[in-house]
Order: sequence, then C-alpha cells, then structure tokens
Amino acid sequence: MIRSGMATLGVAALFLAACGGTGGGTPQKKTELTLYNDKGAWTKYFDEMGALSKQQIGLGMKPTGYTDSAQYQAFIKASFRTNVKPDLFTWQTGGMLAEIVKQKQVADTTALWQEAIKAGDLSQDLAPYYTIDGKQYCVPMNVAYWGMFYNKKLFDQHGLKPPTTWDELVKAAATLKKAGVTPFYHTSVLFSFVWFEQLMAGSDPDLYDRLSTGKAKYTDPGVVQVMEKWKELIDAGYFVNPGDKTDPGDVMKNGKAAMISLGTWFNTSMTQRNMKAGTDYGFFVIPNVNPALPKTSVIFESGPLCSLAKAADPDASTKYLKWWTTAEAQEKWATTRGDVSANPKVEIKDEALGQITKDAGSGKYRLVNRYFEATPPPVLTAALDGFGKFVTEPGTYKDVLATIQKEADEYWSTHQ
Amino acid sequence: MTTRSPILGRFRYGYVAPAALLVAGLLYAPFVWTAYLSLTRYDGLAPPEWAGLANFGKLFDDPALLTSLRNTLLWVVGTMVLPVGLGLLVAVLSHDIKGGAWYRVPFMLPYALSGAGLALVWSPILSHGGIANVLLGVDTAFLQSAPVNTLAMLLVWTWQQLGVNTLLFVVGLQSIPKEPIEAARLDGASGWRLFRHITWPLMRPLTAVVVGLALVASLKTFDIVWVLTQGGPGRNSETLAVTMYKETFVASDYGYGSAVAVMLTVVTGLASYLYLKRQVAS
Repeated sequence: MIRSGMATLGVAALFLAACGGTGGGTPQKKTELTLYNDKGAWTKYFDEMGALSKQQIGLGMKPTGYTDSAQYQAFIKASFRTNVKPDLFTWQTGGMLAEIVKQKQVADTTALWQEAIKAGDLSQDLAPYYTIDGKQYCVPMNVAYWGMFYNKKLFDQHGLKPPTTWDELVKAAATLKKAGVTPFYHTSVLFSFVWFEQLMAGSDPDLYDRLSTGKAKYTDPGVVQVMEKWKELIDAGYFVNPGDKTDPGDVMKNGKAAMISLGTWFNTSMTQRNMKAGTDYGFFVIPNVNPALPKTSVIFESGPLCSLAKAADPDASTKYLKWWTTAEAQEKWATTRGDVSANPKVEIKDEALGQITKDAGSGKYRLVNRYFEATPPPVLTAALDGFGKFVTEPGTYKDVLATIQKEADEYWSTHQ
Repeated sequence: MTTRSPILGRFRYGYVAPAALLVAGLLYAPFVWTAYLSLTRYDGLAPPEWAGLANFGKLFDDPALLTSLRNTLLWVVGTMVLPVGLGLLVAVLSHDIKGGAWYRVPFMLPYALSGAGLALVWSPILSHGGIANVLLGVDTAFLQSAPVNTLAMLLVWTWQQLGVNTLLFVVGLQSIPKEPIEAARLDGASGWRLFRHITWPLMRPLTAVVVGLALVASLKTFDIVWVLTQGGPGRNSETLAVTMYKETFVASDYGYGSAVAVMLTVVTGLASYLYLKRQVAS
C-alpha cells in the first residue's frame, strides 16, 4: 500500500514538474522581441518594422497577430499569470489600460515620454491618453482621426463635393439615394457604435463626455434625440443593410455605399486594394450636426504599444518602445500603411490625412475620445449589442437605450 | 476463479494515477474553479472578490438569458427534427438498396469540416446580398431577425451533421437481427407498419446514443453561432454557450460568465440524466 502510494506520488511529481515549466525571473538578453497584437491583418507591416528595427538598433521583432480581439484580450490577461509572456503587446487606452496599470502589469514609460516630448517625437496633447495617476504607460502604436471616406467617382458622377455643413451632407445623401446609390455604410457587428458616437459628438460633445464617465444617462433627452436623428437617416433609406458582411474596403471599392465613416487607418484598406487617394476615393471631416458648436468635433483614437512591468528583458523592451516613437520608425510605419503618425515630425504623404493631422495639431478641432476607448468594457458590450439591435430594428431605440443604461447603472454603482 | 498478480496489485494506484491526475487536473479542477468564480466578481485581472449568489441573481433577472434559453431550446428541438430525424429517414431509405453507400457519401463529406470552418463557408451564402439571396431571388437577411437566423443556422448544422447521424442509424439498421423482420414480413407487415412496430423498437439502443449525443451537442452550440452572427444582432441569436463566452471574454465579467457556465452545465447534465434515465427505464 505504501509502495503504491509512493508510485502515485512519483507520477504526480513528474506530472507537476512537466506542467511547471522553468519559471525563474533572471533577466535575459534578447535580440528579438515578440510583439502580440490584435491586428492580424497588419502582420506584413509589423514584419517590415521588425526588419527595420533589426537594421537600425540591432533588435528584431516578431509579430503574433490575432484577429479576434476578445480572444486576444483573454490571452494577454492570462499571460500575466503564466510564463508565456509577450515582450511587447498592443492594447487599448481608456478603462482597459487603467485596468492593467492598476494591477501593476505594465511598464512605466514616464521617462521615455519626457524625452520623446523634448525631442519632438511625441506631442504633449497625446500624453493624457497614456497618463494614469500622473505617470505615463506604453507609447502610441498608432493614432487615428475619424472622418468620412467617400467614393470619389460616385461623387463626381453625381456632381457632389465634400460637404462642409450637416445639411449639405444630408442633401448629398438625398441626391445619391435618388440616383439609386446607397449613401452610407453601417454594420450590426462590432462597429455598430460608429454613427452613435459621430452624431453624439457632433450634437453635444459635452454630453458625450459625461456619458462616458457615468455623469449622464443613456436615457437623457439629448441621447434620445441623437437616436431619433440616426433613425431618421435609416428610415430615409440612406444606409446599406447592416447584415451585409462585405468588407468595408470592398464596399468602398465597388461603390456599394458612397460614404464610410471610419478612422484614418482605413486608408490602409484602400492601399491594400490599390485605390488612389484623390482619384478613387477621398476623405473629409464630418461636419457637426449642431452648427452652433464652436469647434468641429473629430473622433480621435490612439492604440498603445506596451511592455510588461516584469518583462523578460526590460532594457530591450524599453529600447524598442523608444525606437518606435522616433521619426525614422514612424516614417516607415505611417508610409507603408498610408496612415497618419503619432510623431509630429513625420510628413504624411496623403494630402487629406496630412491636412487633418495638421489641423488637429493646431487646435482647430475638438478631439473626442473614440467610444470604444471611452466606454467601460461591460457598458461597451451592452452598447455594441444594443446598437446592433437598433440598426436592425430602428423602432427599438428607447428599449436599447434603457438596456444600455441598466448596464451603466450597475457599472458606475461600483466604479465612481 | 481469477488470480491477481501481487506486483500488479501493489502498484495498481500507480497505473491509474496518470489518467486520474489528467482527469482531475484538466476536468474536475477547472470545473470546481469555475463554480467558485461564479460566486465572485472577477475581471480576469484583479483577484476575485466574493459576491455570494449575486451573479445568479443577475442571471435570473437578465432578459438576455430568456432569449438564450429560447434559442438553445430551438437548437435542441431543431436538432432532433432535422439532423437526427432526417438522418434516420436517409438511413432507412438507403440502407437496403443497391449502392446505398454511394448515396450517403455526399451527406458525409461536410462532417469533415470544423464548426468554425463550416460557418465561414456559409457566411457569404447567408449574409445579406449573399449567394442565397441571389439564387432564391429574395432580399431576406437570413442572419438578421430572430428566429429566422437561428433556423438558418440550424440548416447549416443539418448540412454538417446529417451524414454522421445517417451513418450511425445505418449501423443500427444493419446490426438488428433479421429474423423478427422476416417473421413480420411473413405476417404481412411492410412499409411504415414494419418500421413502426418492428424495426424502430429493435433500434432503440442505438437511437438512445444518437439522440443523447445530439442533445448534448445542441445544448452547447457555440462555434457556428459565434462565427456567423456573434449571437446578434442585439443578442437575438445567442445560445447559452455564446452568452457564457461573451460575458466572460468580451465583457470581461468572468464571474457572471462562470455563472452562465454553471447553469449550462446543470441544464446539460439534467437533460442528459433525465433522457438516459427514461431510456434505461423503458
């Protein structure tokens, strides 16, 4: 009996040893870093950055791209408790970043930010998105301004020009609709929030900000009016069917919809489809719904590139993040994707995108944090589902707002 | 009389240990951990905080749960009628005809696809403006309104599962003794009467297995729904398994997601127990 017990223990010990891994906390000297990200479609561009960093600072980078962000976030959270840790990883600003900072999982980059701001590689305006309790964490992986991409050929064909007022935008939509062209794109999956945030920011950006901090309710009259405005546009037949699963890039290319509201990163989709800015498509800032607002609201997002507080090689990770913010790195990162950059020194090749970057930098716009980052995860999940339901059944908008508010009430009761 | 080797007897726990540890480590421990998490507030990062039965309170107060239960029930009933019912029909019609195996091959092929792969194949067919719209000349968004979206996904599920159910029923039909069938034929039974009173009762053991497997598989439906609709729009096609995944990994509410997991386990366990008990009793 004793022997059989010993045998059992022996097997158990072997089993546990096999499961345990090597562990240990000795820092390693790395020559290649792993970069986990939820932008699987950008693997080619990350690879190019890896080759460039190897050449410029002797530190390579190997990307691992996920396409499902929920799966990605679950992996990153789980990795904090295992030995399979990324050297670098992409994340989200707002509540998501605050969550992992609170758990002391992310490396402090305050010194890096100060140096980069002094060197003119990062702008002071961007720092608040990366600041938690007075310290900075991560660096900008990308920045994006949201506006309207439009099919230039369709606009030319119907004698339309980029609108400068909300009324002009609606008039353009009416003209297109009359000519048998669907004016706008929207979807019931994931990006179902786009028109909500745009209409909110263009109608009452203060209310939008209060909503994202739990100081206003989704059932407030201002929010209800925005949903009614959105419903009016849907009822007028200005949107594609939200169940259409065609990739927005293809929607733009084949003219299934004439206009798509997305971030400047959508320019990468145009690049991938060999579409030419100014000939095949264009980009304009979406005018405010409320013309009385002092500045045009522009949705802004910035996605962070982070390293772990307990990185395998902290020096190498910091070195890489520092390099990432430099003009040499950012020039490549912005140019290959045809996107804007977080580094003000980088010259943006695309005329419209260069203009919006310049104008945003000079304070022309009121930058509004994207809904995805501005809203806490449980409320966001309820809202994405709610807007998904609304675009399919627009008559349900009051129920939808009440459902989101229920989730918001629960969240803010413990998170104020 | 059997003899037991003293060496084998002495080390018997050692032989069982690897398998027992694997089962305990990979099945029972996660189950116990999930049950514990269902009683906590946990975002996957900060340590779990004890919440008692709060997650279960929220669960029964959540209108989305009713939708999930309704859809899961639809999946169970639909699975019994379509992949299982049609599988039986195809098996009966093809098992004793010449070249019957060749008729069954096309039904078997989709079984080689994974659930996610299957959904990817059907996505461009069922989405609005997709192949189904063009072929049928209709403008229906098959994946938008409930319950049409669940029914459409059930058809996809049937396309995949029909073959394997047919195969299992054919095995059942081939293994039943010939004598009672021949005796019944001599007594003048044929067609529906022969099937209803002789063949069907003889197939009962195998039917119990096919229905039992289909019951469990339909209760935990996830991959097809997740890839085709992500449970939407507006949660109207969610099943219990999709709700569990969304609450846990999308909303990062691991405590609540675990409560849904516990409920799904109880529902699946109870349904399987009641069904098998009834089968054994009869």
